[in-house]
Amino acid sequence: MKRLFYYTALCLVVVAGSSCSKIDNYPAPSDTINGSTIDEVTGATVQTEVGGGGTRVELLETSYSSNPVPIYFQSMQDGTFNNTKVFGATYKVSVQGPFVPLIQTDSIGNVLTDSSKTIVLKNTATLNFKVQPFLRVEWVGKPVFNADSTVTVQVKITRGTNNPNYQQPITDVNLYVCNTKYDANNNYDPRYSTLTSYSGTSGNSVLGQTITITTVGGALPAQDVFFRVGARINAGLDEYNYSTPVGLTYP
Amino acid sequence: MKKYKYILLTILILGTTACRKLDIPPKNIIQDPDVFSTSAGIQAYMARLYSELPIEDFRYSPQRGLNFFWIISPTPATTGEALSRDQTSSMQENFGGWSWDIWGGSYTVIHDCDYFIQTLPSYASNFTTAQVNAWLGEAYFVRGMTYFGLVKRFGGVPIVNKTLNYVVGTSTDELKIPRSSEQAVWDQVASDFDFAIANLPPVNADEADGSRANKYVAAAFESRAMLYAGSIAKYNTTTLFDANHNELCGIPASLANGYFQKSYNAAVMLDGVYSLYLSAWSATDKNAQYQNFVNLFSDASSKESVFVREYQYPNSVHGYDAYNVPRQLIGPNGYSSEVNPTLNFVEMFDGIPKNADGTIQNLNSSGQYNLYTNTMDLFANAEPRLRATVILPGDVFKTQNIEIRRGIYTGSASGGINPLLPAGSRSQYPTANLVTSSTASQTPYALPGGALMNPAGLSGIFTGDQTCAISGFSIRKWLNPNLPTSQVLENNETQTWIEMRYAEVLLNRAEAAYELYTAGQAGTTNYQQDAFDDINQIRSRAGATLLSNAGGMTIDSIRIERRKELAFENKTYWDLKRWRTFAKEQNGTIYRILMPFYSSQAGKYFFDARTDERNDVYTYDPRWYYEQIPQGAISKSTNLVQNPGY
Repeated sequence: MKRLFYYTALCLVVVAGSSCSKIDNYPAPSDTINGSTIDEVTGATVQTEVGGGGTRVELLETSYSSNPVPIYFQSMQDGTFNNTKVFGATYKVSVQGPFVPLIQTDSIGNVLTDSSKTIVLKNTATLNFKVQPFLRVEWVGKPVFNADSTVTVQVKITRGTNNPNYQQPITDVNLYVCNTKYDANNNYDPRYSTLTSYSGTSGNSVLGQTITITTVGGALPAQDVFFRVGARINAGLDEYNYSTPVGLTYP
Repeated sequence: MKKYKYILLTILILGTTACRKLDIPPKNIIQDPDVFSTSAGIQAYMARLYSELPIEDFRYSPQRGLNFFWIISPTPATTGEALSRDQTSSMQENFGGWSWDIWGGSYTVIHDCDYFIQTLPSYASNFTTAQVNAWLGEAYFVRGMTYFGLVKRFGGVPIVNKTLNYVVGTSTDELKIPRSSEQAVWDQVASDFDFAIANLPPVNADEADGSRANKYVAAAFESRAMLYAGSIAKYNTTTLFDANHNELCGIPASLANGYFQKSYNAAVMLDGVYSLYLSAWSATDKNAQYQNFVNLFSDASSKESVFVREYQYPNSVHGYDAYNVPRQLIGPNGYSSEVNPTLNFVEMFDGIPKNADGTIQNLNSSGQYNLYTNTMDLFANAEPRLRATVILPGDVFKTQNIEIRRGIYTGSASGGINPLLPAGSRSQYPTANLVTSSTASQTPYALPGGALMNPAGLSGIFTGDQTCAISGFSIRKWLNPNLPTSQVLENNETQTWIEMRYAEVLLNRAEAAYELYTAGQAGTTNYQQDAFDDINQIRSRAGATLLSNAGGMTIDSIRIERRKELAFENKTYWDLKRWRTFAKEQNGTIYRILMPFYSSQAGKYFFDARTDERNDVYTYDPRWYYEQIPQGAISKSTNLVQNPGY
């Protein structure tokens, strides 16, 4: 009986040791696609939010199939992107976000313009997409601490495109308050952030003006905070255009 | 030796004669003739089809999907109708979570319908023509419902109207059916319902209690589906085309009126066949109107119930009461108060003192709290339908006063009581002059007269335990007032779910008529007047103030009426989606609550209206108007194009 056991054990050891001799030795993806989304007028990167609600890069691997399932990765908050784990192949690359789409279609789906880029990826490809953001949100001066420990900011919002299809009225202008710089519509402190919605065309009155927004909810807590202003129009997936995040030290 | 020859001979004989017929249908598998030859077999087939109908009933939540028992992230807590301990933000439906296979599951049902439709005619000689037509009508009805369930989530989906027979070893390309245009799928829904209307009898011959379809059931759902399609055509702004210019998401706006017209026509078919429930109603008695609206959800003889889903212990059960009774009537499972109506919802109703901006009037002209002897005094003239939908603080349920109190205010009341917080503040309540309780085990507070009072009500609000009326209200609709507390258990309840009631048909009709009117469509019908009459029928039954003239009506009057009437019936979620107003309503939104306090000095109650103390923010992402097609489905069938933004 004992002998049978040992034989069985020996067999198992042999089987276990000899199976899986063929390891999956296809090299891991190691090529890099990086770059940025740039406002074609100002040359600055287009600010966005982290996570699913912001700018993302679309890869269509055309060397494998003429009708590939797209691969996506998200841009960073400052409008740059970097993916170091991509297989070398031929890709059609474009970006999607709060700007005039690179691929524009008419009302029945015909492609009118297509500014996506086709690359044969080997090692590293750096791609800078020049785009027209729906809106530009720029700081006017710095945020100011008031006597009652609220904060007042000033910004100017202008249109980033003359494209007649993207002149919808502004629907929201929001001042976001957050304790990290990842301050956006998906991450803010609702107690102090000031959200303003506009209906109809009333939102257009803020265009080109220096607008002043003050935090709500009384005194800010005694800690460092970041401020960011986001604005959007009802176009595409209604994503926000943002100012840069600005940190403020509690006085 | 001779012996062996005989043995051999015997074996050979046995070998040739035995098992003459080996290739017979397995006896342990039910074959088509077993099912399709008798009406009992058909009934079994139908039972399966109906059990898989994708309707959002007592066993549905966006978090856990269809036909799941555990409903602690309830649908109303995603729409702003209510707040819940376990649902704290906007959400899209969670396909793939909790083994919810919306895609594969729906196509299984469609396959079952297709198979039935293809197979039944070969067995038609066993039945009368009327039976065969009616059953085919039911199969078309179920298929139409299933396509409806898909298209309202995904837009255009593959249309598969025959069973696919895959031969092992052949190419699978033929199985990879691409998505049709959204318009084509809505038209498929309409044509399936039209077939059902044409072939079903006015009363279902197998089950006449509304749990199986008849002609009018199909018409009622057609009115719902076509209203949905018309709304998409009119209000949707997201579009997606495939390489062949099929519009997978979105419908040309020019088609809106056609769909609204279909919706209207289908709704009118029920005129005179079904009616609003008025058994206990009285034009002059608000209490009777309240009781009538309560009874509507439990009276099996109601002529308002068009289509229902029935439950039966122990085979098919739910736990609605267990999750939703007020805290003081908590059942043995320890759940309660999952649905707490928001103040935003309550403020839609008539009969409450309101400020000019429509918010509840809880302050007097000098900005101090109004004081009340009882918490129900504020709601003395509330619309009866509100009381039947929401348990207001201090109202009676199961012979108990449902006690909802945030705390005892011990500060001076001699010069009136000023608001505890500045208007609009989202901060915590100050702790000074306020006695509260963190849990349901309370330490009574001695009032100035010596009497003892618990800081919080029996049903809340507790600061450290959200299993209570966190909004200041508790849900009333659907609760069974006769269920003993010991029986308030999960998987133990069997109230009938009314998926379609005549009130919705009237509301569909009103909305379709009003959309046609605003689009300048004038037929023989005065659409504006029609919508006005429909809405006033609903309002009259509800005990609400009637609209005074048709000209003063807007599309919002109709929508708000719909939201009040169909609240907590898992309909508002889909209405906000098809109106494309979800993202506007839930745009950094914190819902409002109404907190009753007792002033120990004044010996009276006051109410504080504020935003949700938890500061839960609701933001609906517009891409959710079209749900994400499950990645598993795309991996299997790479011709499927993903919806925008995923």
